[in-house]
Amino acid sequence: MAAAESPSAALRRRDLCSRGIRLAGKMRADVVDLLDAYVEQQGLDASASVAAMEGVPLAAVERWDEQTGTQRLLENLAAYRAFRTLLAQMLEEQREQLGEADAGLGRALAAVLLQVSAFAYHLEELLRLESRGIPGEEGDGPPPPPRLSLFEQKLRGLGVLRELAQWAVRSVRDLRQLGKPSSAAGTAPGLAESP
Amino acid sequence: MCSMFSRWNWVACGFYLVLNICSPDGGLVQSCGHIIPESPVLALGSNFTALCILNESCLDFGNIYASQIIWKIKNKLVPKEQYREINRTVSSVTFNDTSSLATPLTCNILADGQIEQNIYGITVTVGLAPEKPKNLSCIVHQESVLTYVMNCTWNPGRHTFLDTQFRLRHSWPEEIFPDCIPKDVNNSCTITDIQFFVNTEIWVEATNALGKAESDPLVVDPIDIVKPLSPQNVSVSSGVLPTVLQLCWVNWISDAVMMLKFNIRYRIVGETNWMEVPSEDTASTRTSFIVQGLRPYTEYAFSIRCMKEDGVGYWSDWSEEKTGMTTEAQPSKGPPIWRIIDTSHSPAFWTVHLLWKALKPFEANGVILQYEVTIRDKSSPSSPVKKYNVTSTNHTLQLREGTYEVTLVARNSVGSSPPSVLLIPASNSKAPVKNLRTLPKHDKLWVGWTAPNSYVLKYVIEWCLVSSSSDCIIEWQIALGGVQGVDLKGIKPFKCYLITVYPLYADGQGSGQSVKAYLKQDRPSKGPTVQTKKVGKAEAVLTWNHLTVEEQNGFIRNYTILYKTIDGNETVVTVDPSKTEYTLSSLTSDTLYTVRMMASTDNGSRTGPDFTFTTQKFGKGEIEAIVVPVCLAFLLIVLLGVLFCFNKRDLIKKHIWPIVPDPSKSNIAQWSPQVPAKHNFSSKDQTYPEGSFTDVSVVEIEADDKKSFSEQDLKPFDLLKKEKSTSEGHSSGIGGSSCMSSPRQSVSDSDEGDTTQNTSSTVQYSTVVLNGYRDQTPVQVFSRSESTQPLLDSEERSEDHAGGADSTAQRQQYFRQNGGQDETNTDRPCFERTKQITHANEGDLVGFVQLQISGQSSQPLGLGMEKNTQEAAVSNVLQTCTEGQTVRPETVEENPLSVDEMPKSYLPQTVRQGGYMPQ
Repeated sequence: MAAAESPSAALRRRDLCSRGIRLAGKMRADVVDLLDAYVEQQGLDASASVAAMEGVPLAAVERWDEQTGTQRLLENLAAYRAFRTLLAQMLEEQREQLGEADAGLGRALAAVLLQVSAFAYHLEELLRLESRGIPGEEGDGPPPPPRLSLFEQKLRGLGVLRELAQWAVRSVRDLRQLGKPSSAAGTAPGLAESP
Repeated sequence: MCSMFSRWNWVACGFYLVLNICSPDGGLVQSCGHIIPESPVLALGSNFTALCILNESCLDFGNIYASQIIWKIKNKLVPKEQYREINRTVSSVTFNDTSSLATPLTCNILADGQIEQNIYGITVTVGLAPEKPKNLSCIVHQESVLTYVMNCTWNPGRHTFLDTQFRLRHSWPEEIFPDCIPKDVNNSCTITDIQFFVNTEIWVEATNALGKAESDPLVVDPIDIVKPLSPQNVSVSSGVLPTVLQLCWVNWISDAVMMLKFNIRYRIVGETNWMEVPSEDTASTRTSFIVQGLRPYTEYAFSIRCMKEDGVGYWSDWSEEKTGMTTEAQPSKGPPIWRIIDTSHSPAFWTVHLLWKALKPFEANGVILQYEVTIRDKSSPSSPVKKYNVTSTNHTLQLREGTYEVTLVARNSVGSSPPSVLLIPASNSKAPVKNLRTLPKHDKLWVGWTAPNSYVLKYVIEWCLVSSSSDCIIEWQIALGGVQGVDLKGIKPFKCYLITVYPLYADGQGSGQSVKAYLKQDRPSKGPTVQTKKVGKAEAVLTWNHLTVEEQNGFIRNYTILYKTIDGNETVVTVDPSKTEYTLSSLTSDTLYTVRMMASTDNGSRTGPDFTFTTQKFGKGEIEAIVVPVCLAFLLIVLLGVLFCFNKRDLIKKHIWPIVPDPSKSNIAQWSPQVPAKHNFSSKDQTYPEGSFTDVSVVEIEADDKKSFSEQDLKPFDLLKKEKSTSEGHSSGIGGSSCMSSPRQSVSDSDEGDTTQNTSSTVQYSTVVLNGYRDQTPVQVFSRSESTQPLLDSEERSEDHAGGADSTAQRQQYFRQNGGQDETNTDRPCFERTKQITHANEGDLVGFVQLQISGQSSQPLGLGMEKNTQEAAVSNVLQTCTEGQTVRPETVEENPLSVDEMPKSYLPQTVRQGGYMPQ
């Protein structure tokens, strides 16, 4: 497929990959910073472990190195779409809880939300370049989470941010894999790397 | 209805219209019409048509129609050519160019063509549609670690005259972000929610009532237009080496956002020029850097900036400066050293002032703790080497005249400098530099020279500020042997500097060459004060003092003397600057002159105070040349006058004090027939024994005052005395004067006038001398008395008897008879003298005669002996010259009587006392 790719498309793909990698890197950095601010703001323990929650996509994956490029893009796109919804919900909850009292945290959440959206856009563009159809978003997104207590909301937020940070790392690796000239969306990468 | 009542009808119509105008719709009063469009916004330059539509009700009630409509812009009537009556209720007006429009545009009606009433008015707004914004550019400014804002600017285009809204818009392909609406400005806006790594489309929309325009979109990833914050918390720390410093800082932008590259600049504190670390050494993200190649013990200031590693974007501002100091190192070179030798006390013993300059910081490489001075006597190598540790930069030594080698080392805490060596030779006998010259260069004075032929190690340039009030304080610097010119710093303008250059050789020193120079010249600060040293009739010697060097402000090229009279033209004289005196010549005498003096440098002149002087009326020696000759002439005249008067004293006396004969003193009075004549001949008896003169009567006229006679005056008298003594016969006496009148003519033919004059004036007695020389006929010398005194009776008688030649002959004969005995002895001299007197100098003779008669002053001048001689001579003359005269026998008989006998016989005592004899 790469051989059939036009030079402009290859350039475009390389540019998108490069930009996506940097975006994922910045997103990870911002999420890490946001995590610190969030833990402090919400009065949580940074070392507290959060169990897997429903609706939060997990970055960990088995046989990562065996995934094809398209598969990686699709999984990433699905994950970031989910994070976009989760972050938007967190932002809403944040505004409800704190109002304008902590605008900084809200702005940081909004910034991460934008980055997630931007990354999702990158993935969609890459998928278009792969001549793959872009899966439509499932209705209004995932089903609304069950009504949680305030503390549960905080813990879920912590879990979302932690998982997003993980996803950012994975996405960097996925895009680097995709950006290699020898890589092909439909072929599995080598076994050398793992997330 | 209105047409039915002509006057009241119009009034009612007007009232109706007013009510209609004042009444809004639905109000009490309705408007009679309106304009379409209502308050339009028009494009400038476009055409525009407005319609005025009358209400039907007004047509019926007011009887007004569209034909009566007039249009106005403000209060200016629109030409009717622009009107058009569409129907009876609608009138239109058309403007081809809206630029002629103004607000308000009103529709009015002329009721019956006279009363103008306003129907409706609209506000017209004219403007332009917005132009397409151009030159859109954006910069993402980092405001904090996580905060970025994007500021975009654009060119809004022409002024639209309308309210135009600009909005900055940006979007992702699938997401449009909120617009950024500028506040208070129309050409920039700042977007706060910037997300990197996504191409963002940015554009500007401009909108107003006439339209909308969009700029070309700018598609950019905001990360590519970031201007990051400069590195923060810069710190500088010294390293192990004295030439390095380590910088550390914090980047405010995370590596996840962008990788950075850096610029590091540094400078020595106090200097202005920055140096930069090569950019390739700082082209990657880092938070520290070691700057190398620095000077030891030097304080540096550092500043850092950064930008995206790939160079896309903008450089951050320079960070705040941070300073750091390198550690010490040993001095890199020895201090420059020089000496001043004072031989004023004794040429054989020098006072050597060693001077050296403190090392520059980059040479000292630390704090110089002390200097070590070593003196080695090259004249006597066996003498010990002297060492001195000095903390100042000079040292004074007392040395014998000779050749010395001085070594100087500077020490700091790390080590010693290389030694500086100065050779002090016994004499500066080497070749000097040539062609020493100076040239001002801005604030520096360049000193150049031509190197001697020999190899020169280095040159020492001495200079000092020349001052009239203080000593020349020497400054100096050393130049390497290869250079032939240096710039002297710290030179003040308008000051005179004496610059001396010494070449230093490996084996000696050349003599110094000096030159005076100014960095910048000005005109003198004052002019010379001139005054006169000497003023003459046509010249004046001016003197002045040289200006002090502080007053000169430059090289005095010349002095200019300007002088003039009060009403005359000014004369200018240029004088050599070395002079202090000048002589003005060709001046007008006795004239007031004003003189002033100007000193000139290359940059101007200054004139001193005026000085006035007046030339003298007379030149030197003129007065003396006039006065002395006048005095001399006066003295000469006086002297000549005195001499003349002296010579002519008798004549003068005769005129002034005529002699009045005193009869009582007259010898005649004493010479009475009864009494023998007075004889006062002391030697008479010896010369002429009484027996031989018994027949001769002698008349002696005594002078009371002979003091006025000089010897010269007496000369003729002496001559005559001789003549008398040698003449054979003379006659004397009053009687002779009259009887000898005829012989007188034969005697002095040549001086007849004089004789006549004398005869007629003052000669009171006459003497007749008849000389004969041997066998020659004696010449008769005749002198006539001009006395006005009456002659005595005896004289009268004698005169009567001696009237003709016969009587003369008789007298001669008679004289021979009585005196023939000694005739041969006395005849010759008497003849010669008489002849001489007669022909050569009758005046003398006259004087003699006068002397004989009135010589009252001869006695004081003559000595006693002379008096006696004179008297004897007179006696002789009288005796000898009476020969041939008519002499009464009685006289001859009485002749032997002595002088002592005279008063006894005749003269009363009163005569001797000056009284007058009764006549």
